[in-house]
Amino acid sequence: MEAKLLTITQAAKILHVSVDTLRRWDNSGKLTAIKKDGGVHRFYKEKDLEIFLNDLVNTAHEWMMHGVELSPTFYCSNSAVFQARLTKLEMLLMQKQGLEKTFSIIIAVAGEIGNNSFDHNLGKWPDVPGIFFGYDLDNRCIVLADRGIGVLESLRTVRPALVTHVDAVKVAFSEVLSGRSPEKRGNGLKFVRAVTIAQPINLYFTSGDAEVRMKDPLKEFRLTRGQEIMRGCLAVIEF
Amino acid sequence: MKIELKKFGTTLISRQAGSEALKAFQSTLREIESDEILEIDFSGVLTFSPSWGDEFLTPLMDLLGDKLVLLDSDNLSVQETLKLLKNIKGNPQVYS
Repeated sequence: MEAKLLTITQAAKILHVSVDTLRRWDNSGKLTAIKKDGGVHRFYKEKDLEIFLNDLVNTAHEWMMHGVELSPTFYCSNSAVFQARLTKLEMLLMQKQGLEKTFSIIIAVAGEIGNNSFDHNLGKWPDVPGIFFGYDLDNRCIVLADRGIGVLESLRTVRPALVTHVDAVKVAFSEVLSGRSPEKRGNGLKFVRAVTIAQPINLYFTSGDAEVRMKDPLKEFRLTRGQEIMRGCLAVIEF
Repeated sequence: MKIELKKFGTTLISRQAGSEALKAFQSTLREIESDEILEIDFSGVLTFSPSWGDEFLTPLMDLLGDKLVLLDSDNLSVQETLKLLKNIKGNPQVYS
């Protein structure tokens, strides 16, 4: 379940740059490679490439991990602000060529993930309430993040036997179980999983050290344990 | 009776909004005859999510059973949400 390392050739293909460029970036510190046991070969973590690829993810990641001040452009202090901005995004997506039908599913997925952050952290925010909500229509991605209690702590209130972030995230994406039981909730991430499989959407989701990837072409539900413990939740929706 | 959901809004996403919609609908619901069919019309709805649907439709499904008719929609979010809500009602373990 450990995150696998990619070779420099694989990384170059993902980033659409040459191997020489990656070597230069490593030497300059722009994108540092991993060298196993002092060897000369360069390796990369998939997550590092994903963060590098996307400034939005980088900004959200810095906020989650270090609490850096967030631009009002991205910060939704409460769910009403989020709903308003999501409706604005809905209008923008509707007008985008090729998304005339799928816009609704993209907005529904973003809505479920964003509202989950508010619903499961209500009265429990460790420090900063609210979420990061950013999108890049040119690169066709939406990024959502929170500095909340995360999936494990939320679900452990109703299933104390859960110990690891990976197990908790697996439950969240598989079973109708909610941290707000006995309320009958807990279908949001099941919906996200189902439509990601069925529709032209890719998903990256992390909470704690659990990482979910559902990407083209297979779209299989891939759950791994990463190297870093992320507080709260971070989701990247590609469309 | 036919209910046009767009009268509750065209972006139907949050649980709070779904719950409010159901409360607002209670007075209309009391007017329905015991053998009357309630049709839910999704036309004009832009985005529909399981959270809103669960707050509004699930109680109506429980209350009315076969007398609740969900009209066909070509909206993808409506189709996927209804598929999930119907699936969950019969099978809480969606994925193994």
